[in-house]
Amino acid sequence: MTDIQHAERVQVKLFASKPAADPLDLVPVFHRWIREDKVPGELLIDVADYTHVWQGPGILLVGHGIDLYYDLGENRPGILFARKRELEGDLKARLIDALKRALTACKELETDGLEFQASEVLVRVPDRLHAPNDDDAFTAFVPILEAAAREIYGADATLVIEREAAGKREPLTARLRIDDAPPVAALA
Amino acid sequence: MSERSWKDALGDQVPADLGKEIDTWQGQIDLKKQGELGDKIFAETRLRRGVYGQRYDNGLRDDGTGQKPLEFPCGELKKGPDTVWDAPGMQRIKIPYGRVTAEQLDVMSDLAEEYSDKILHVTTRQDIQLHFVHIEDTVPMHRRLAACGITTREACGNSVRNVTACQFAGVCHSESFDVTPYADAITQFLLGHPDVQDFGRKFKIAFSGCHDEPCGLVTFHDLGATAKTKDGKRGFELVVGGGLGAVPVEARVLMDFCPEEELLPVSQAVCRVFARLGEKQSRARARIKFLVQKVGIEEFRKLVAEEREQLRPDPRWTDFLEDLRGPDEKPVRDAAPLPDEGPERFRQWAKTNLRPQSQEGYYVATLTLPLGDISSEQGWILADLARKYTGDSIRCTVEQNLAFRWLSGADALAFWEALDAIGLGDAGASTITDITSCPGTDTCKLGISASRGLAGELRKRLTVLQDELDPAVQPLRIKASGCFNSCGQHHVADLGFLGVSRNVGGRKVPHFNVVLGGQWTENAKSYGMVVGAVPSKNVPQAVLMITKKFVDEREEDESFQDFIKRVGKFEIRNLLKPITKPPSYEEDPSYYSDWGDPREYGIGDLGVGECAGEIVPFVEFGIQAAEQTLDEAQDLHDVGEHGKAASKAFRSMLTAAQALVRHLDHEVRDDADDIVKLFREHLHDTGLFNDPFAGGKFASYLFNAHSAGDETHWLGADLDAAHRLIDEARLFVEATHSAYGRIGETPNLTKLQSAATAAPAE
Repeated sequence: MTDIQHAERVQVKLFASKPAADPLDLVPVFHRWIREDKVPGELLIDVADYTHVWQGPGILLVGHGIDLYYDLGENRPGILFARKRELEGDLKARLIDALKRALTACKELETDGLEFQASEVLVRVPDRLHAPNDDDAFTAFVPILEAAAREIYGADATLVIEREAAGKREPLTARLRIDDAPPVAALA
Repeated sequence: MSERSWKDALGDQVPADLGKEIDTWQGQIDLKKQGELGDKIFAETRLRRGVYGQRYDNGLRDDGTGQKPLEFPCGELKKGPDTVWDAPGMQRIKIPYGRVTAEQLDVMSDLAEEYSDKILHVTTRQDIQLHFVHIEDTVPMHRRLAACGITTREACGNSVRNVTACQFAGVCHSESFDVTPYADAITQFLLGHPDVQDFGRKFKIAFSGCHDEPCGLVTFHDLGATAKTKDGKRGFELVVGGGLGAVPVEARVLMDFCPEEELLPVSQAVCRVFARLGEKQSRARARIKFLVQKVGIEEFRKLVAEEREQLRPDPRWTDFLEDLRGPDEKPVRDAAPLPDEGPERFRQWAKTNLRPQSQEGYYVATLTLPLGDISSEQGWILADLARKYTGDSIRCTVEQNLAFRWLSGADALAFWEALDAIGLGDAGASTITDITSCPGTDTCKLGISASRGLAGELRKRLTVLQDELDPAVQPLRIKASGCFNSCGQHHVADLGFLGVSRNVGGRKVPHFNVVLGGQWTENAKSYGMVVGAVPSKNVPQAVLMITKKFVDEREEDESFQDFIKRVGKFEIRNLLKPITKPPSYEEDPSYYSDWGDPREYGIGDLGVGECAGEIVPFVEFGIQAAEQTLDEAQDLHDVGEHGKAASKAFRSMLTAAQALVRHLDHEVRDDADDIVKLFREHLHDTGLFNDPFAGGKFASYLFNAHSAGDETHWLGADLDAAHRLIDEARLFVEATHSAYGRIGETPNLTKLQSAATAAPAE
């Protein structure tokens, strides 16, 4: 029996097809986002630099309810949106919100010269209490993720959801692939 | 379906006593939210659970264009005086003597990923810290930690902090014996003990296995224990009253030989004396070092001995002695010698990062963590490596690294390859690239400069140069602190850096004081002296200039400490003179922001008028004159003229104080009595000079020096007194800079005095 609907944290990562020349370029960009209140409805607090950590969180824009990372995981830079507080709706609604906000952040960064692809999304549920990384939880998660993805990519989109990091330590993780996904700007 | 909780999920995996404490913590959170607990009481309560405040938790942040409110949704709810409930904080996880099991590393990695920023930060006191944590997430965190044997109780607050010990304890060639079981026993004995609940300030204990190696750093601890044997019997040399902080003090010998069965009762007696007689009102003088200085070590010894006699016997004093012989860990692989072959990078790594154990065929592998950080992902993989190669043998080190003990020589290459695959295969442990830093302005409320930003930049630049560096330079240690509290331990580095700020042309410029010649070996035997301040952006150049001079001019086998003593700080100061003054803002604005932070440094606290950069206010001349006098004091001290040095140091304080008094439009004469009287009246009693966190600490330096006597009196000062007064004068002059920064060029006294109600620091 899983209570994944109660999961309190979700993360969504979109990968860069044209990453920043230097991840540190994101530091002034994120400071500007704080100044200009670039994430509507969210309190943004500070910027942290973890580029010295191997395939780590990269550059972090810390917020109250959300965090936004220029994440260096998998050695593939991308924007990782993390919802951690001020939750609204059920898990599907939270996933839709996270996807939309990640796409919006990518679209915004594309004006700074970066490019992102919408055809692959890494989705994590780092809440081991409500979403342990096991078969039951993943089985329960797939239809919720699929329904959320269809809200963004369209009812007829060809979606593939693969399980990642099957094991006990990493959080429940899925990789969502979308055939013929439109550009980020069209979805945001 | 009702929602699950970690309390339900973990059940009896959480030991009953820890579970009860965490229930109480949850209850206190609930009471605070209901308005049933005061801010101060709640703040001390949470600090004793290791739940710290973090930068911007007063709900204000300078975004580079001015200070702006952070509108947290919690409204007026506070978690301490002037500390907003919803503001992210730091969770300090107490790791006694730095020992971490694979399971604990897994759990902490989980917690970092779920509640923090996916980063585990190893501190200079063998703790692990998680940042950007919400206070309400600390309850499930504490439960999950408790389920794997960790309590955060008394990780902070006025209590016995993490007990540290040499990471090589039990496997070291030079130790008298393994101090691990003793460090463990004192940790368990004093945790929550009624005799340690009424301190005026924190109390830090450290253990070392020998005198010569630096690993234990006992000489700058409140209580330090160094293993020694006497007539075949185990015991400790106990030292007391050491500390870094604003004015470093070397601990004094309390007992030349304390037999092992007396370790706990004597420590308890020390704690009781500290609780009974230590300062409680003034935080600035509440550490035990001030009590030892006040009563003198002889009297302190007598007090401890009397207290010891009064103690009611406790079986725990000696129970632990029944089973402590030999190391507490067992290898999981057979011993074997190190292979001769392997790639060059492995050979380099083996040279600096592997240390043979006293048990033949086993090695301690030190993982150099950049800035003390690892990610959750790295943490999980390291836990697996421990299970496979070394067992539960990981230790956090005071140099912010991880040591894996019991590595068989036969596994060293495979172990290194696994490390290298996760970015942790770099050589350079305990070398010039292995830089220690406190959090500084990145996350610390007290940070003045970006010590982590500086450390990262130096590491980057020196790593590139590493192969070209002279062998004499490679083993030098660099340490950086973001403020005078000295958490980066810069006092005991060869090249230490202390964050300060300076006013230049109406703007603030981040600087670091250069502190040279501290001694890391022999348990951090002596402290470095301040040479002068350099703009943050010029510190890498300063490092290259100083190390080049060392290489060019050192005499055969001369140590860096001896070199600094020989050439003198006056000469080093002259060397650095060309880079001590930053260019104007118009010439190069990059000097006016700190490493890794593009915001203009401190502009929110300092109004910039139209005349900024064109007119130097009179007060600045006064502060400059004070600095000049202080430099002269330092030079006199360097050549053994301690009395004259002390007298000059006192005059430098008077000059700085006089400048500020005049800045407030008060007429003041040159004599000490008039300056101190008016300073007290207009700057101290009004709160204008109070540091936002240290309160009246720096003003007390002036008052104490003045009450001791006039400048003639100070001519009789000895080396120690002069050294201390110079350090205090330097901090006083720094505080004058800060106060001037707060007051501004055109003082608005009504506004300033209403804002001068400083909140106490954590």
